[in-house]
Amino acid sequence: MMLVLRVLKTQPLHGYAIAQRIHLLSAEQLRVEEGSLYPALQKLLIKGWVKAAWRASESGRQVREYRITPGGRRQLEAEMAEYRRMASAIGVLLDEA
Amino acid sequence: MIIGEWIRRLGYLLRRRKWEDELRQEMDSHRAQMGAPPAFGNTLRLREEARDAWGWRWLDELAQDARFAWRTLRHSPGFTLTAIVTLALGIGVNIGMFSLINGLLLRPLYAGADDVFGVHSRSTMPSGRNRALSYPNYRDIREGTTDIFANLAASFTGFVGLDFGDGARSTYASAVTANYFQVFTAPPAYGRSFTAEEEQPGAGIRVAIISYSIWEEHGADPAMLGRHVRINGEQFTVVGVARKGFAGTSIPGPGVWLPLGAHETFSTEDGTRRTFGTREAPTLSVVGRLQPGMAAETAAPALATVGRRLEQAFPSINAGYSLAMSRPSGRLIFMPGGSGALTGVLLMLMPAIVLLVACLNLADLLLARGHGRRQELAIRSSLGGGRSRLVRQLLTEGFLLALTGGAVGLVVSTWATAKLVASLGPMLPVVVSLPDVGLDWRVFLGTVAFSLVATLIFSAGPALSLTRRAAAADLKRHAGDEGRGRAGAGIGNALVIGQIALSLLLLSSGGLFVTSVIRTAAADPGFRLDGGLVVVVDPALAGYDEARGRQAHLALLDRLRTVPGVEVVTIGSRPPFMSSGDSRKVAPFGFAQDEPAGADDSRSTSVGAVFSVVGRDYARVLGLPQLSGRDFRDAEMVPGSGERVAIIDDALAEKLWPGADALGRLIQFLDAKGPDARQPIRVIGIIPAVKHSPGNPQPYPHVYVPLGQHYESAMTLQLRVAGGVSEEDMLSTISRVVRDVDERLPVLSVATWRNHLNASSDVRLQATAAGVFSAFGGIALLLAGLGVYGVKSYVVSRRTREFGIRIAIGAHPRALLWQVLRDGGRTTTIGIGIGLLLALGAGQFLQGSLYGVNSIEPVVLVTAPLILLASSLLASYIPARRATKVDPMVALRSE
Repeated sequence: MMLVLRVLKTQPLHGYAIAQRIHLLSAEQLRVEEGSLYPALQKLLIKGWVKAAWRASESGRQVREYRITPGGRRQLEAEMAEYRRMASAIGVLLDEA
Repeated sequence: MIIGEWIRRLGYLLRRRKWEDELRQEMDSHRAQMGAPPAFGNTLRLREEARDAWGWRWLDELAQDARFAWRTLRHSPGFTLTAIVTLALGIGVNIGMFSLINGLLLRPLYAGADDVFGVHSRSTMPSGRNRALSYPNYRDIREGTTDIFANLAASFTGFVGLDFGDGARSTYASAVTANYFQVFTAPPAYGRSFTAEEEQPGAGIRVAIISYSIWEEHGADPAMLGRHVRINGEQFTVVGVARKGFAGTSIPGPGVWLPLGAHETFSTEDGTRRTFGTREAPTLSVVGRLQPGMAAETAAPALATVGRRLEQAFPSINAGYSLAMSRPSGRLIFMPGGSGALTGVLLMLMPAIVLLVACLNLADLLLARGHGRRQELAIRSSLGGGRSRLVRQLLTEGFLLALTGGAVGLVVSTWATAKLVASLGPMLPVVVSLPDVGLDWRVFLGTVAFSLVATLIFSAGPALSLTRRAAAADLKRHAGDEGRGRAGAGIGNALVIGQIALSLLLLSSGGLFVTSVIRTAAADPGFRLDGGLVVVVDPALAGYDEARGRQAHLALLDRLRTVPGVEVVTIGSRPPFMSSGDSRKVAPFGFAQDEPAGADDSRSTSVGAVFSVVGRDYARVLGLPQLSGRDFRDAEMVPGSGERVAIIDDALAEKLWPGADALGRLIQFLDAKGPDARQPIRVIGIIPAVKHSPGNPQPYPHVYVPLGQHYESAMTLQLRVAGGVSEEDMLSTISRVVRDVDERLPVLSVATWRNHLNASSDVRLQATAAGVFSAFGGIALLLAGLGVYGVKSYVVSRRTREFGIRIAIGAHPRALLWQVLRDGGRTTTIGIGIGLLLALGAGQFLQGSLYGVNSIEPVVLVTAPLILLASSLLASYIPARRATKVDPMVALRSE
């Protein structure tokens, strides 16, 4: 969910684009399955962290685009801060060991 | 945050179809963009997973379960109908009882009850006695507390004779200030409230507001407004009909409200007028609604300040009293004595037992049916239906049944309860506004709760036991196989035993009351009932003082004596069986003479006796012989006749002077106040004792004093018609004659002795209890019969193959018939045994409310089990017959 919020932070995207973008941004290391992407998107909608709207894509196809909300940004920041804290803690632990 | 989430979830639920479509489009588009080869997973499964995220899966499953249950039930209409009727009976009686309790105890008497407080003056002495308020005091408080109370009203309650032109009936009445109805935010349903002018002391403007239930009793006539009625003999105009169910601060509430200015219409028991309007006459209850936002904690000290000001301004009357607030006293519950209360509690428990019987019955039906459905359950479970899901499915089915049954029960019981309460109105000795027992959200909630409880009782057990064994093994078995082992039949039998035992409990309790009613009706009252008529009058209700009241009594006696067909007439303050006796302690004169009053009276040989004021010919009217001495004389019918005299009955004579002649001796009343106290009274006659109440077999001591020596306003004229004249035919004549003598005189009742007796509260409580218990017992009997029938039918159908084989190898059908009946008989006998123990226990509890009946009543203890035995034999006979008709070929082929 954090990854989805992260890629939506810069621009609104539709489902396929979100998966692509995560794949690209992670230097092709991460791949989001559709089976987890869509339930995650529903949860984000329930929490009110993203909003969805239909739009015509460049190829003329109707796509549903997800846009991050202010609440979603706050949540992302909170989660990023928490992640960094954890990551650095783990890093310190691994370095010392 | 959480709320926002739920709003979004709900939004999804409401626009589900659209969301689903969008999700599909979205996924299709996603798949298309991926190009070939599409690595996109199963769209349907993905969509389901996405849908689950919204958290509505349980609702879907519930809807599925309900739909499935609906289909299943529709396919077996016979079972469904039986179940619904059973539940409607079981839940219906509970709803009925609950709406009575709701109307009497739970329903708030008026809107916003939290802000309504009673105000009274409280003594500053440590004893802290409360006192009512006088009108001037009330006015001063009202004007001084406008910042505390939005409305402060005063009222005075009492009994009046209310006459719609068909005879006066004693009616609970309240004289109120103009703003009274505003305090309860309950303006009259029709017409208007009272005006400030009508409230003024001495205004004497004769207008009245009647209660809704009285209005309904008089045909709910729209022309009621403006109609003239007589209240205590004075003509009043109806200006309003109170809101439905409005009772003021008490239940039952007044039947009629008068403006405070018509206060003098009320009279006291001895016929004197009440003083009103002076500061020295504290007669009013005061009740007020706090200003919006005013807390009781702030209001109380502010009120006390007003109280201190009043104390200083009018020290003569207000010294030593402050003002205090309290919750207005709530509800009066008519419970005649301790044993009556116990009967009441038992009456409330009975519906629960009926429901329990209904639930046992249904559990049985469900078990039997469920075994037929084991194949279905096994298939579902092998296809991946989890046990919890299967249980949920069965419970949903049960709840659907219970809710439907509950709904039917609700309709029937609402109708029945309303009828019951309405029928109560004309029977009550005084007119009150009846509580509203109609539907409200509590009754609805109660219905759902009863349905839920019933579901848990009747369907949880079967659901668990059926799914436990819904294993693959069942798949292989044939549905017609006798798969249900001994254990299964054991559960069924246990359920039947429970039903029979509980039914017997209800039946025999009903039987005890019925016996009691029959014995009461047949009991020899100790005096002649037939040919007797009674006329109850109360001159005080017309505002008559003692002198005029006496005149009225005597005039009536004189006039009635001359009516053709009337053999003999007398008058009495307390005719036999009118229960509420005025009891006095009677002792031989001179016995306790030297002892200080009160101290040791109870230790002396004083005897409690019913005290009656009577006219001449009292014994003759009752058909009692004069045992010795003489009757009262005419001179003793008016005051000032010299020596005080009394007639006593032989029961009293025997207790005062055992074995000796009481005639001519002196007695005294130890506990009388005023001029009666400890005066010597000569016994001038002795008559036989009569019973005090219908059921008490022991004649109760009575002492009779002549009309001239004691005045009571409410008196009963007692007549005996001549032989060959029907007392019913005389009723209208007597009514007319009484009216002719004095048109203004409130006549509270004209009735035959028998009707009068049947209307007494003792007899009616019995009859009601007998009716209710018998009805419950009958319902339980019906249910138990159905239960036996269900189980036996099931057993027979299970053993079809066995019977077939046995017939094929030559068993006589009669032997099979006997075997089935014997099995049924065993179950029934055990049930009856347990039921008898329960019935004996209940009998002990009920004894106090029963007349002339022992708790161990052979007639009942034999009849009730016999009825049960007979019906259960009949219920097992039908399936047993079927067993003998089994065609061996068909039975064997069913393999």
